[in-house]
Amino acid sequence: MDYAFFLGCMIPLRSPQLEAAARKDCEILGIGLKEMHGASCCPDPVAIQSLGIETWLTIGARNLCIAEKMGLNVMTICSGCFETLKTVHVMLKRDKRYFDMVNEILGKIGYEFRGTSKVYHITEILSDKKMLEKIKDSVKVPLEGITLASHPGCHLIRPSKILEFDDPERPEVMDKILKTLGAEVKQYAEKVTCCGYCARLNEDIGDNLCEIKFNDLVKNQIDALITVCPACTSQYDLHGRKIARKSDKPMEIPVIHLPEIMALAFGINPKSENMDIMKRAIKPRKLLEKLKIEI
Amino acid sequence: MEKTQEIIKSTDLISDLRYQISNQIGAKSLLACIQCGICSSSCTVSEYIDLQPHRVVACLLLGLKDKILNSNAIWYCSLCHRCTERCPKNVDYSFILALLRNMAVKEGNMPPEYEITINNLLEHGFTVPYAGMMKKSIDRNREKFNLPEIVTPNLEEIEFIVKETGLKKILEDAKKGKKKEVKT
Ligand code: SF4
Ligand code: SF4
Repeated sequence: MDYAFFLGCMIPLRSPQLEAAARKDCEILGIGLKEMHGASCCPDPVAIQSLGIETWLTIGARNLCIAEKMGLNVMTICSGCFETLKTVHVMLKRDKRYFDMVNEILGKIGYEFRGTSKVYHITEILSDKKMLEKIKDSVKVPLEGITLASHPGCHLIRPSKILEFDDPERPEVMDKILKTLGAEVKQYAEKVTCCGYCARLNEDIGDNLCEIKFNDLVKNQIDALITVCPACTSQYDLHGRKIARKSDKPMEIPVIHLPEIMALAFGINPKSENMDIMKRAIKPRKLLEKLKIEI
Repeated sequence: MEKTQEIIKSTDLISDLRYQISNQIGAKSLLACIQCGICSSSCTVSEYIDLQPHRVVACLLLGLKDKILNSNAIWYCSLCHRCTERCPKNVDYSFILALLRNMAVKEGNMPPEYEITINNLLEHGFTVPYAGMMKKSIDRNREKFNLPEIVTPNLEEIEFIVKETGLKKILEDAKKGKKKEVKT
């Protein structure tokens, strides 16, 4: 199955190693990715929606038009992009007045939003029953003996009436995938706690939320926190290091994007042109040791 | 905490404020609020804000615009959508909150962080700068991972959309010095 691959901004420009891992996984699993030339920022579900909801909807619809022209559904590896594009798709299809407003503007620059391309986060594509079997067959280094915790994050699961993805209170889709890779997945109290990245106008909020999260992860003896969003990933990676430096307990828990841990399990060299697992503040040295992976 | 009594004058109430919001996308169910407070007890940032979500809704229904726009509640929200998820009456509080931010922005109250983001979007098509030395280093980095070249969006199209949706004018007015301090 082919998808129009929506890259966004943070991953292709700041963390291309995450994109490289996702592309490798898709290649192994037979998921075809086609480039969306001329796509812009999704746009940012916080800043741009906050400045002008009409601007947010129309730029989002322009991006979706590119996929519609390609005749493909959209795949993204960022929860922010997922939230924006899926919300734009759903809202415009539900609200004729805004559908017409957006198309009146887009019509003047040669686009027409029809709503024919559906929007998926890679997690949803990977959790399909047949895909899980394929994943299982592709595992070369089973993640045995390690304990993972998943952080689905807000923008993958809420609001569920729009995103229609997983249980918003007890999410389990990510865990299903991680278990298929051979890992033990632990449920923990702060699983659906927000990372605070989007509350960036008051830094205390993020500091506190991250501290709550890491305390719970340490208590549960987690080897790595698995994320599906570049914002959550960088928020926890940077705050995690800060928290560990302040603490006298060993608190360093690496934060790893789902496609990266999958690539590890698929036997991809963790420091190659397909990913760079060391490109983060908290290095996953112990995790690699446990998996007997040398770099 | 010290208890203060607040006297609200009927002349301060904007009677159609509720419709200014409920008429917009994603906010249709605003009027159904029963003040149960579930949104506030679910809120990620409740300890940091001076007006809890259910009270913002109450002020909105009453027509107390200034009280809402002067509150830090509208800017500290993390848009985690917990309130919208759990509301028993289907009130989309997190969307209403975005609309309230839009309202503040129209009055020239714009966080500099967001202004940087929209300027990057206008200049580069992305929220991260992609030009000059920055572009060179990003491209080199992508090459290292064997990734395809970025084909940037047509910036005239992005600018046209920002203009047609009215945001361009708001930004220009803000630049002209009509800008007020952001109240957080
Ligand atoms: S949860 Fe919904 S009904 Fe209850 S106070 Fe909040 S907005 Fe109103
Ligand atoms: S979206 Fe904002 S107001 Fe709603 S629960 Fe989250 S932080 Fe609170």
